Amino acid sequence: MQVSKIISSAAIVLFIALSMSCKKKEEPLFILNNVELYPNSAAKTRVKSDEQWVSILHTNLFQSALSSNELFQIGECIASIGDKELVREVIISNFMNDDGVVMPTDEEMRADLPTFITNTYTRFLVRYPSVSEETWYANYIETNPYITPELVYFSFALSNEYLYY
Amino acid sequence: MKRREFIRKTGLTAGAALVAPYILPSGRLFAQTGSQIAPHVVMVMFAGGVRQQESVLQRYVEDSQNEPYPGNIMYNMLDGEAPTQKIVYGTGAGGIDPIPQILNSSLQSQGTLFSEVTALSRGHYGGLNSLLQGSNAITQGLRQKPVNPTIFEFLRRHGGYSATDTWFIGNGINNSVPLLNYSIDPGYGASYGANFFAPNITFGGACENFLGDARVYHPENELDPIYQMKYFLDNNFDNYASGLGNLGNTEDEKQQIKEFMTLMYDKTGNGTIAHPPISDSDDLKSVGYTCEVLKHFKPAMTVVNLDNVDACHSNFTEYTASLHRADHAVGHLWDYIQNEIPEMADNTIIIATPECGRNLEPNGILDANDWRSFDHSDANALRVFTMMAGPSIPQNLTIGGEGNPIGFTSDSMLTAAEILGVKSDVLNAGTLAPGTLSLFDRL
Repeated sequence: MQVSKIISSAAIVLFIALSMSCKKKEEPLFILNNVELYPNSAAKTRVKSDEQWVSILHTNLFQSALSSNELFQIGECIASIGDKELVREVIISNFMNDDGVVMPTDEEMRADLPTFITNTYTRFLVRYPSVSEETWYANYIETNPYITPELVYFSFALSNEYLYY
Repeated sequence: MKRREFIRKTGLTAGAALVAPYILPSGRLFAQTGSQIAPHVVMVMFAGGVRQQESVLQRYVEDSQNEPYPGNIMYNMLDGEAPTQKIVYGTGAGGIDPIPQILNSSLQSQGTLFSEVTALSRGHYGGLNSLLQGSNAITQGLRQKPVNPTIFEFLRRHGGYSATDTWFIGNGINNSVPLLNYSIDPGYGASYGANFFAPNITFGGACENFLGDARVYHPENELDPIYQMKYFLDNNFDNYASGLGNLGNTEDEKQQIKEFMTLMYDKTGNGTIAHPPISDSDDLKSVGYTCEVLKHFKPAMTVVNLDNVDACHSNFTEYTASLHRADHAVGHLWDYIQNEIPEMADNTIIIATPECGRNLEPNGILDANDWRSFDHSDANALRVFTMMAGPSIPQNLTIGGEGNPIGFTSDSMLTAAEILGVKSDVLNAGTLAPGTLSLFDRL
């Protein structure tokens, strides 16, 4: 009797030990989300050349590249005027007069302001807006009925940050 | 009112009345220390390298080509009879038709000619810099903005002149000409610079495609929001954008310039630019656009650069034609100011100085007429002249002469500074070349 108790207790202990020791350990699974990395504005320390600026501008507005001949000609036009900010403004307003500028409609912009603002920042400034920037732009557009995507694009293309990379 | 309070308020009012008129657009509290001699100066950089023998000395091909035909091919500027033979500088086939004189009396008879002036440089860029800086800095490099402050910056910083009060018109964008509208001096620089056009480029065919069809935005409903959004972005980027070189045109001035550009594209298309009667060269066209700038903005200081005579390196015939045209250009400019711009007539002083001369001896290149060409590297290349005319300028006066040089090319800058009231500021800056004086001090 005594012996059988000992044997059964040992069997129970052995069963428990075996069952626990043989349990398969689950491997942790690490997954990386796809995140697009952009530089912040502080990393932009170099000024674009006139040709770089206008080439990037054309690509941002028309989603197509300027020809090398056009690029050369516009570079000469910029060199021929002393006030560079003014000539940039004139070039942007000329581009805006072209039907080929790719941009959302006013309704599309106002239907989803956060997306429009984020897309505009990444398109022109190659970075995400900060929360305060997104809030300011959203409030400004919401409270100003005259604001169109064209005016917003114009302001980004004219900004100092757009002159740097 | 108690007597003490009355005295205090009277004192404050008087003080405010004294100070308020002198708060200038530049932020300067007091007006320039010197008084103006005239409200407008037009400086012609009669550049490209003008040989003294064919200009002031009126030797045409006598000296340069050993042919016995002297004569004056600059009869709008200088007194003297034109050549009678070997005429190649005019219009028509072979240039046989001289361009008719524009001015009834030459600038020489209307003003003062410093007939033998010493240039500070034998090179173009150094020479142009000496006309605008009043010096020829040793460290001045090609393709580098002026090292010392230019006349434009002195005027804007010390005289309170606005950006559209100062204009530099180039006849092209080569040879670093677009760099000359302001210096890299840390105390001056872009924010005191002049507006600049190279109009033959700006208003030429190619640029019209990119600049001539600008969308017109409503100033309050559209432009204001654009600027507000831009300024918001700039504020967030302020630390990194301090050296962009903006000229400091106000929004109103920018609007004026944009309107001027639209007008120029229209007038260019219509063929109604105020060009000289003959306008078959870049120099002549530049002067036509300069007339338009003068008429539109009535600037205090306008500088126009001519340089087609530099053809003399390889083509003496073309050089004489360009020199003849440069004279035609100056004659037209002066005539236009006097007859088409009432606000500037009789109160504008014109100063014309070559930036350098040309060699005494020719190089080995012959042109189509077998005429010899001239570079600019010897002592003769430092021989030039200065012409000025307008109010307070003695008429029909010639100072100096061959073998009796008086003055330097850098004098022209200080003279312009004196005319517009910033002479003492220029002198105090200590950047002038040694020996530089205002031409008024040499009269």
